[in-house]
Amino acid sequence: MENDILLKIEGLKASVEDKEILKGVDLTVRKGEVHVVMGPNGAGKSTLSAVLAGKPQYTVTGGKVTFLGRDLLAMSPEERAWAGIFLSFQYPVEIPGVSITNFMKTAVNSKRQALGQEPLTAAAFLKLMKEKMALVQMKQEFAKREVNVGFSGGEKKRNEIFQMAMLDPELSILDETDSGLDVDALRIVAEGVNTLKTPEKATIVITHYQRLLDYIVPDIVHVLKDGRIVKTAGKELVTRIEENGYDSIN
Amino acid sequence: MADNEIITLDAGRVCKTLFIMSEDNPFRPSGDRAGDFGILAAGSFDRKIILKDNAYADMIVLALPGADVSLDFRIELAGYGAGCSLCGLYLCPDHENVRINVELDHKVPHCVSDQLFKGIVSGTARAGFYGRIVVDRDAQKTEAYQANHSLLLSDNARVDTMPQLEIYADDVKCSHGATIGKLDEQEQFYMRSRGIPEKEAKVLQMLSFLSPVLDRLPEGETRDSVAAYVENVIRLHF
Repeated sequence: MENDILLKIEGLKASVEDKEILKGVDLTVRKGEVHVVMGPNGAGKSTLSAVLAGKPQYTVTGGKVTFLGRDLLAMSPEERAWAGIFLSFQYPVEIPGVSITNFMKTAVNSKRQALGQEPLTAAAFLKLMKEKMALVQMKQEFAKREVNVGFSGGEKKRNEIFQMAMLDPELSILDETDSGLDVDALRIVAEGVNTLKTPEKATIVITHYQRLLDYIVPDIVHVLKDGRIVKTAGKELVTRIEENGYDSIN
Repeated sequence: MADNEIITLDAGRVCKTLFIMSEDNPFRPSGDRAGDFGILAAGSFDRKIILKDNAYADMIVLALPGADVSLDFRIELAGYGAGCSLCGLYLCPDHENVRINVELDHKVPHCVSDQLFKGIVSGTARAGFYGRIVVDRDAQKTEAYQANHSLLLSDNARVDTMPQLEIYADDVKCSHGATIGKLDEQEQFYMRSRGIPEKEAKVLQMLSFLSPVLDRLPEGETRDSVAAYVENVIRLHF
């Protein structure tokens, strides 16, 4: 059904520093679906997530992307967040001097303001923080720490999933390309995705490693190679890649 | 009006001063005193401060928008166990000209000094920090730190920084450093991807950049008043 479509990518081409990375990507994501984009190093997986989130260093040279019927490529990164897109970063950025509480309060209330809602009261905000921190098993003192500063790899991932839970996006894009997640971090990401899954929302997991898929069961698997999606199938495709490698897929 | 004098802090004396540097900027923090901080509003000045045994000077300088000032601190740690903390921030959004000179001399052993100056410079403003620490041969067990960090936000603004350290003793802890940078774009994209508007992301970055200096003021009405003023300047002028 047409109105089930959250995200529609058609012939997307993008380059960074004049080097073409995406050479015509087509991808449609419907409500309730979990998609996985896999592919060898250098295929363009991180570029795809960065372009969808609106990272300024990337130039879109062709194609079109609609999100809930709107032209995504015409929107600023913050407008995309307000519309309901969330990118979990492969390498979350440290922001010295800004506490998680202050960061999230600004983010949540900016989104509410953009949607014409009143800002949350201090009490309502703290309640929401508490609830979502419990979800990812973050300790209370976490809220006072500076964003990602001195965090372990696992803590950074936990913080990403926490932010995702706070912002309650329609479409979550998890860039786990080469992050070499340990088992704990894998589990955190997977639990977050599985807990937050609803029939109204969707997730795109971008990964190089098959082992994340021991924890997340995808509906649809895509293989991205040399800037194009060369194969789309069900979760059985993962086993085939595991056994025969990306070279077997053309 | 230039203000030029020699101040001697006798043994054990403690002096805390907040300097508001501007000739015509009307901002004055509310609260006459913050902890024991006295407030001095001035244009340019040149001051020599001599600290005797265990005396302590805690000074914070705020150079405000509109300032065209030159500050000269000549500090002598002349008595055993004396200490000096000298911090400042400069907000130069437009055509300010702020020049800070610090000459700090460790003359005797067991003294501590700590300098931290941070500022944001844009428009066609100029800021200069010229700091020199001298640790005399007899001044063993000295601890002396000096740092100057600036954000340079326009092509037509200019920042000069010259931290210098001369050490003639051999048992000391000293460091100095300076950076001139821009707002980090990776941080901005990260914040924007969470729905924080670009302008607000920049405000958060600038506030967090300056907060180490504001944190040197004791908690209270004066600090709140200065912090609110600084935030307002950032929102309106940068």
